Amino acid sequence: MVFGAVMIPIWSAASKAVKTTLSVRQVPYLAIGAAFSFVIMMFNVPIPGGSSGHAVGGVLVAILIGPWAACIAVTVALVIQALLFGDGGITAIGANSFNMAFVLPFIGYYVYKIISSGSPAGSTRRIIGAGAGAYAGICAAALFAGIEFGLQPLLYHTANGQALYCPYGLNVAVPAMLFGHLLFIGWVEVIVTALAVKYLQKQDAVFFDGGIS
Amino acid sequence: MSNPLHKKHDFIERSILSALAFLKDATLSEEYANRKGFLQSLDPRFNTISFLAFLVTAVSLKSALLISSLYLLCLILATLSGIPIRKFLLRTLIFIPLFSLFIVLPTLFSFVTPGEPVWSFHVVGITGIITRPGLDGAVLFVVRVAASVSLVVLLSMTTRHSELLKVLRVFGIPQVFVLTVSMSYRYLYLFATMIENIFTAVKSRVGVVSHHRHGQNIVAWNIANTWNRTTQMSEDVYMAMLSRGYTGEPRLLSAFHAKPQDWLWLLCAVVICAFLFYKGYTL
Repeated sequence: MVFGAVMIPIWSAASKAVKTTLSVRQVPYLAIGAAFSFVIMMFNVPIPGGSSGHAVGGVLVAILIGPWAACIAVTVALVIQALLFGDGGITAIGANSFNMAFVLPFIGYYVYKIISSGSPAGSTRRIIGAGAGAYAGICAAALFAGIEFGLQPLLYHTANGQALYCPYGLNVAVPAMLFGHLLFIGWVEVIVTALAVKYLQKQDAVFFDGGIS
Repeated sequence: MSNPLHKKHDFIERSILSALAFLKDATLSEEYANRKGFLQSLDPRFNTISFLAFLVTAVSLKSALLISSLYLLCLILATLSGIPIRKFLLRTLIFIPLFSLFIVLPTLFSFVTPGEPVWSFHVVGITGIITRPGLDGAVLFVVRVAASVSLVVLLSMTTRHSELLKVLRVFGIPQVFVLTVSMSYRYLYLFATMIENIFTAVKSRVGVVSHHRHGQNIVAWNIANTWNRTTQMSEDVYMAMLSRGYTGEPRLLSAFHAKPQDWLWLLCAVVICAFLFYKGYTL
């Protein structure tokens, strides 16, 4: 709920950025971006060993439509997920949006921008930038989630010290969240984002000249 | 005949199943929302506000017993609303609460949560001691998750999704945002069907992909292709909106009408929450 309050100015800034940059014509574009960020999770990605995992795709959406529009698109996807499918939690929408609709697309997008700065739309540097951005974005989101979990036993506990929500402190929650993302989930995100950018470059490089930054 | 082990590891099959699971979930929810029942007869605005009140209560209470009483209320409401209890329990108790149990499992033991021991055991020379504070904390965590998930799932099963999205306006959320959410939800059906068709086509052409790199290329190409197809579609959608009189200012139809029983239900919900908060405070 605290993060709901934190997200209000961010959502407000995102609405203003989108309103001044996207034309009326692009309202369906934003809705499609939101639906796209939801369905990316339906794609199972094969990984070595015969198993498969799925990507979040927040950085890919940010590269395609810009970080502010991605902030709204991912928030919409999270609202639909929590409200209609009972997945993610209504009271956790603020924290989830902070991690996945703010930290993830913004860090990922600016890492991509720094690496690909000045390169032509069809260059390999853009693919590397997309992969690096995806990795940085998802790991940063995991780090923030770990910190949020780890702070809960310090902030919310009974008189005798029993944790009311997440039972693990920062020393457990942060490494637990980072371990899986640095070693496994982050790489799934890298593969999906970099390869999708590579294919989009082949199909139509003009996609990488737009966006709302 | 397909090998089940192969099926489990086949990313094509799993992608098709993910898309189908979404379509099945959405269709089933609409089916229950269209049935005649207690919660379905209420105004969606009052229904949503009352469930949010229950949810905030479940999240705020510090007693597993009081949260369990909210869970019991949820099961009674599900029965009164014509939701098959077995299906409801399967949907709400299997994945998320079991996952929560897995997360809190280490906190049961003395090496994470020291305190009064309630049970000890020896396995391969290692002594495990379950403590009272560890057990209490784990029970509270799992019961809270089960109650919260059940409340949200019951709300989404008994309210038509299009109406549930329109209710967002009650909370002062801008119309453009509500319009985007509503449009996205409609696209989801289309995209899920698209993904199912793409992967069924891939499967019929390549069978099972043996190397993960080949599979990753197929997935990335399909994500890029989905994006291309959908952006092309946005222009057609905009034209369709214009032809229906869209001027840039979204207007959503509202067919909500509050009845006396809606106000009565809201009053009951407030009384229940106030009572639980009071009991929680005095415990």
